[in-house]
Amino acid sequence: MSKIEKEQILVRYGGSRKEREEFLRGMINPEGKPEVLNDVTVLDVSYANLSGDICSSIFAEFGAEVIKIEPPEGDPSRKITPYGVNRNGVGVPFIMEARNKRYFTLDLKTEEGRRDLKSLAAKAQIVIETYAPGTMDSWGVGYRQLAEINPGLVYIAISPYGQYGEKAKEFINVPDSDITAQAISGVCANIGDMPGSGEPYNWPLRAGVWLSWYISGIEAALGGAVARYYSQATGEGQMVDVATADSYASLVGYPVTIGFTWNKARPRIGIHDFAIYPYGFWKSKDGIVAIAAGRDHDFRALLKVLKLWQHEDDYRFTFDRIPDILDQVEQFYKIIEDRTIKYTSDELVKMALEYSIKSARSKWRGGGVPIIMKVQKPATTMQNPHWAKRQSFQEFDDEMLGKFKMPVNFIKMSESPPRVKWVKCKIGQDNDYVREKYLK
Amino acid sequence: MDDYFDYTKKLFDPSKTKEKPEVFKGLRVLDFTHVIYGPTAAKILGQYGAEVIKFELPWVGDLWRFGVYWGSFWRHSSVCFHFVQYGKYFFALNLKLPKAREIIYKMVEQSDVVVENFAAGTAETWGVGYSQLGKINPGLIYLSCATYGQYGPMRFFPGWDLLAQAASGVISLTGYPDTDKYYKLPDYVGDFLPGNVGALAVIMALNYRKKTGKGQYIDLAQAEALMRIMPNFTYESITGEDLGRVGNTDPAMAPSGIFKSSDGKFVAIAAVTDEQYKAICQAMGRPELITKYGDSFDRLKADNAKELHDAAEAWVKASTAENLVNSAKKYGFSIGLVEDDYEITYDQWRQERGSVIVFQDDMYGKLMIPGPSAMLSKTPGRIKWLSRPLGYHNRYVLKQLLGYSEEEIKQLEKERIVGYWDDRPGIKPPVYYDLSQDAMFNYKG
Repeated sequence: MSKIEKEQILVRYGGSRKEREEFLRGMINPEGKPEVLNDVTVLDVSYANLSGDICSSIFAEFGAEVIKIEPPEGDPSRKITPYGVNRNGVGVPFIMEARNKRYFTLDLKTEEGRRDLKSLAAKAQIVIETYAPGTMDSWGVGYRQLAEINPGLVYIAISPYGQYGEKAKEFINVPDSDITAQAISGVCANIGDMPGSGEPYNWPLRAGVWLSWYISGIEAALGGAVARYYSQATGEGQMVDVATADSYASLVGYPVTIGFTWNKARPRIGIHDFAIYPYGFWKSKDGIVAIAAGRDHDFRALLKVLKLWQHEDDYRFTFDRIPDILDQVEQFYKIIEDRTIKYTSDELVKMALEYSIKSARSKWRGGGVPIIMKVQKPATTMQNPHWAKRQSFQEFDDEMLGKFKMPVNFIKMSESPPRVKWVKCKIGQDNDYVREKYLK
Repeated sequence: MDDYFDYTKKLFDPSKTKEKPEVFKGLRVLDFTHVIYGPTAAKILGQYGAEVIKFELPWVGDLWRFGVYWGSFWRHSSVCFHFVQYGKYFFALNLKLPKAREIIYKMVEQSDVVVENFAAGTAETWGVGYSQLGKINPGLIYLSCATYGQYGPMRFFPGWDLLAQAASGVISLTGYPDTDKYYKLPDYVGDFLPGNVGALAVIMALNYRKKTGKGQYIDLAQAEALMRIMPNFTYESITGEDLGRVGNTDPAMAPSGIFKSSDGKFVAIAAVTDEQYKAICQAMGRPELITKYGDSFDRLKADNAKELHDAAEAWVKASTAENLVNSAKKYGFSIGLVEDDYEITYDQWRQERGSVIVFQDDMYGKLMIPGPSAMLSKTPGRIKWLSRPLGYHNRYVLKQLLGYSEEEIKQLEKERIVGYWDDRPGIKPPVYYDLSQDAMFNYKG
């Protein structure tokens, strides 16, 4: 773009770097801005399944009034927590997902409890439940009964195999968990070391986060948001069905398309990648770094940074580097490792960065951007000034839960951003409020 | 009243999908994205009926057109590109040229959403940033997808799925604690998941626009979206310790893990509640454990969880997978067999459900692709076509949207403002396909 053109555009549309910076700075803090879902009430009846709490948290962050409905003794998901770590009986994941919610107790095993749920549903826009398919229906508070009293209702159901089909029916007595959902949906089959590395390291491996539950919760919120948009426009509600044993496979899409075109499953290839190389972890003198230099020019740059130019001829093109011959990739891995091990992580990061800055500034844009990064742990991520500037973490202090931090503001929006206003989750803490507001 | 499963079968019937309404019909999305993260956000909107126009540089194309597994193309295309890009309009326009920018500005006037995932600030430099496009159309919703976001000292750092995983810290959580190996989350889920979060943000913004008429700017940082799925920060701030890698168990459930059965199958088992714990103990024939670890917090303590893990391991080792599944059905605890790509592809229930779709495409023929993760009974997501060669929809976009004549288009082609593919697989059509007979490619208007 010539200078004159640039000016013309600036004059025409008034954009400038300074204006943009100010605009972005103003976006970071959500306080005082309107909330999208301030006209939505969500009933979260999820039970022993955190994906329901995750889904309702997202609605709550966007401003919905979320009423978490628990049995009088509390939802068992309060007790799902690593090594039993808890604050006054509440586990870590449950604290993390106790965002902006109201806690209300109802005994759905009694006629009275179900009647109250019906009255609530008549005034709500969204219901979330995670019982075995048909359970709510047999209690008279399933989608088809609630839709009769509230045709605009969006009813979100999360279960292992979904609400319809033979498999769902067959496994009706088998409850959901994150690890089993990961296993069935293809997460575990594709993590783990290479075939020759010995047991149990070459076994399928669980991803170290509650991946299936989080994906299911987010997908349920996404489907629910689409359904809510439709219901707002037409007054017609519907049912949203998420199967935790599937949600990962359909989110990433690889298992199915690879299974079909290869007509077999991928082997586990450890820390390598199927399509991009180098793309993974290497040891440094004092730790582990992640290296990504997949494009040819990035790769050339990496060779220069690591002083490995003599190998350029053997691995020139992406397709020379793709790890379809595992022995070869191991050998190449070693070649890189022999260099990375000589430097500290900080040195490696600096070397790559200096090269990238030089190449980005050069007139000839083919210089490549080799990326080397230190592997961050949650503690170091929390200390990163970048996230501090973006207000990505917030500390809370509650009389029952004590002090703790959590990631917030995960989407920055200029007009109607999501936010966390409070984190409190005493069983039945809002019983009076809910009864007063909805059941009088 | 019908049986519940008969009722839901009718309610969700995948064969009726085509007859059902589309939520975002009439909305137009301009998609300035590449690889996986940004394109996924636009794809989801298209899945629910929005018209998504994907911009690519002529003769260059999206990098992910060449992102093939183990180097093999499928009918001169990348399967991995197909399921990231299905149902879009492929428009190859040289954004760098001023005349191209005029075309874009005209399109912005009649569009609702813009999605981009360049490095922070690049879209602005090219004249297609929010500060420019938002002034043309104040109702515009503009989603910027970058690894570190648009604001903050690290905003210019480049990013891939791997680096977003590294920046968020999620990368340090998978593996065995007694080894020096870390595994990334597979299948570029660090791109797909934030992409879905991007779509969610846009839908919320559409909802807001419906009520107020106002558009807005969305700054989505890939790493922040990944941090949202990590209770590890809260764990760290409460205990002062890193939860770290936990091997092949879920530390929040005991017993839990992936074990090998007597017939060599990998079986995941977990006790989520006290009830399920009792069920497993009974199924294992170890009723004494029920009272020994009656309290769930006590049960989850590392040593106790280890004891239960070992008990479960021994039990699974002595039993066939089939027996274990039957036992789970009888007693009511959580179980799942590890499924690999092949098993997932040909699992009957996924096809019945519509989670796996056998798609018949006009250009590429039969391909099995994933359906939507969430099934909507009244307005289900759907797939209309797979990806298309570079510049395939040029004529359609220019004539239908902008009213260009054939002569004007020829002129644009001559000035290399719009363009097509060269001879590389990934961007060219399959060799067997006769484009001269293709009504969409030769769109007459």
